[in-house]
Amino acid sequence: MTTTPTDLPRLEVCVGGLRMKNPVTTASGTFGYGQEYDRYFDVSCLGAVTTKSITLQPRPGNKPPRLVETPAGLLNAIGLQNVGLDAYLAEKVPFLRAKQVPIIANIYGKSADEYAELARRLEEAGAADAIEANLSCPNVHDARRARGAVLVSQDCDAVAQYTRVIRSATRLPLFVKLTPNVVDIREPALAAQESGADAVCLINTLLGMAIDPETRRPKLSNVVGGLSGPAIRPIAVKMVWDAAQVLKIPIIGMGGICRAEDAVEFLLAGATAVAVGSMSFRQPDAAVAIIRGISDYLVRHGFSDVCQIVGKVRL
Amino acid sequence: MTEEVFVCSPSIREQRFLLECAVVSNDPVAPSHYRMRLHGPEIAAAAVCGQFCMLEVSKTLQPFLRRPMCFERIHPPTFDVLYKVEGEGTRLLSQFLPGQRISVQGPLGKGFPICSGVRRHILVAGGIGVAAMPALAEELVRRFAAVPEVVLAARTRDDVINEAFFRELGCHVQCATDDGSWGHRGLATDLLEQLKPEAQDCVYACGPMPMMRAVAALTAASGAMCFVSLEAQMACGDGACLGCVVQAKEEREGERMVRVCLDGPVFDARVIDWEAQDDNDAD
Ligand SMILES: Cc1cc2nc3c(=O)[nH]c(=O)nc-3n(C[C@H](O)[C@H](O)[C@H](O)COP(=O)(O)OP(=O)(O)OC[C@H]3O[C@@H](n4cnc5c(N)ncnc54)[C@H](O)[C@@H]3O)c2cc1C
Ligand SMILES: Cc1cc2nc3c(=O)[nH]c(=O)nc-3n(C[C@H](O)[C@H](O)[C@H](O)COP(=O)(O)O)c2cc1C
Ligand code: FES
Repeated sequence: MTTTPTDLPRLEVCVGGLRMKNPVTTASGTFGYGQEYDRYFDVSCLGAVTTKSITLQPRPGNKPPRLVETPAGLLNAIGLQNVGLDAYLAEKVPFLRAKQVPIIANIYGKSADEYAELARRLEEAGAADAIEANLSCPNVHDARRARGAVLVSQDCDAVAQYTRVIRSATRLPLFVKLTPNVVDIREPALAAQESGADAVCLINTLLGMAIDPETRRPKLSNVVGGLSGPAIRPIAVKMVWDAAQVLKIPIIGMGGICRAEDAVEFLLAGATAVAVGSMSFRQPDAAVAIIRGISDYLVRHGFSDVCQIVGKVRL
Repeated sequence: MTEEVFVCSPSIREQRFLLECAVVSNDPVAPSHYRMRLHGPEIAAAAVCGQFCMLEVSKTLQPFLRRPMCFERIHPPTFDVLYKVEGEGTRLLSQFLPGQRISVQGPLGKGFPICSGVRRHILVAGGIGVAAMPALAEELVRRFAAVPEVVLAARTRDDVINEAFFRELGCHVQCATDDGSWGHRGLATDLLEQLKPEAQDCVYACGPMPMMRAVAALTAASGAMCFVSLEAQMACGDGACLGCVVQAKEEREGERMVRVCLDGPVFDARVIDWEAQDDNDAD
């Protein structure tokens, strides 16, 4: 006889083929490769760990200063510093596999083919349970972005093309992460869906800038950076809601989630799962409290399954 | 003296805590400078000199990030932080009252290496950099019964902090002020130069970037060991965000950047690319 307490709500979700025991993952770039936070809590309690963006070659990232605190958030211009695919496979994956926590491997490439190669090699190595293609990093200078021009995900044709190429390289669940710096988020979201994405991740950071009046210089060496934290939450919630109106595939919502109530907001707006980002900097074990708090919320409101609240904002 | 370049101190311990600590006291010690004593037995027991902690200055989300502060003194079950009010975060910190609780993450980073066989230990502090030195001086005296040389530099007489403390500990103390109101009129490095560091000496420095660059140059020329405690804007404080990097002179394992929070804040001065460091903090 099973003795599962029936009063504990079901938290399990399935996001585009990825089963998560609860709807909470970490936002890429805010959680290292998981091990950094295992000193504060057992990361195997997460629905999944999303890694820092992985590139084919190691990247040194931007020059410092890379961070500025801003009202209720921060601007960053890390520039995708990461260990590169080989070191990720050799040094980071064994820890995550030992933890038996699903891995969402976030990837970044300079071309569609690079993304495809990353996805293929991650799948071959058994080093990912889902691929999150970061088509939206505001902090790297490459061919597509000369002086504030186009991020891949600002161009629906490029989203479609990149998604198709990555799709053909892997059978893993494919998530496409989009920038909020667009006129209408539904367009790139639909482009991703129609090209074979299994889910979309909303939102990456918003482009921002801060200037020191004393020195009259930008506070970031990169001049501009990506804004994150509670300051961007209402924008993120609205984008999730907008996208949920037109998408059939699930959404992973993120942007300024600090507490369980914030996560519930995203779920109500239509996200199937959420990612905790910058708040982990402030409170390394924030995700744990958020998982527990979602469960408490469901109990308090008489729901038996987290899926019952997805998209259920009362209009 | 060993030829090995220390990237980090051998004193690293991997323990981390995230605890609500009770404020024992929080008193002004000089104009816009305060000392907060916190009751945190686990953190105090695990901390070593030169390490730091991240303090949650507000329960609201503004300011959003914790504030890094090094351990001024580590006397289990308490530890002290000495801070200067710079902006909103430190202003909020100055308003904590005894008995209130504050969330502390730590101990973080790598502290000062404690090397034996050193002829003279020379501690050089500029401005609020003095916050990093008392725990180090206590450790050197305790371990080696050493008589550290201490150079304290500040803008003016009122800002010279901990002079009496170092003297009582048995250190040999010299002061420099920008305006000449106390001790030597001029720079910390003037006094360091007079001490003529040699190859068997070890210099420990914490202060504004121009001072540390000058100390690094001076010690490099003399062959003395030199450890510097650096600052950077931090978000996570523990290696995850890659926000706090500074440029190193050479690549290590394919990596040119070192993280102040995890690889530091204390570095062997030879590791740092001093040319690449900005003087933004015009302290
Ligand atoms: C490892 C480490 C240990 C530190 N230990 C101490 C300490 O023991 N005592 C102490 O008083 N301070 C220490 N600092 C600096 C301290 O963290 C900052 O002064 C503090 O974060 C400023 O917060 P604020 O909200 O008051 O000021 P903000 O409003 O954030 O900034 C006010 C001004 O201070 C400058 N500033 C902000 N952060 C820093 C920083 N990290 N370094 C240099 N300038 C900064 C800003 O550029 C701005 O001009 C340490 C920093 C680090 C990285
Ligand atoms: C310091 C930092 C680094 C980030 N690095 C990445 C990255 O490498 N790849 C990526 O897709 N998103 C990256 N992001 C964006 C986050 O994953 C997330 O989309 C964004 O920060 C919004 O969530 P938040 O407000 O909860 O932080 C980064 C964000 C921050 C703050
Ligand atoms: S502060 Fe995040 S890596 Fe150093």
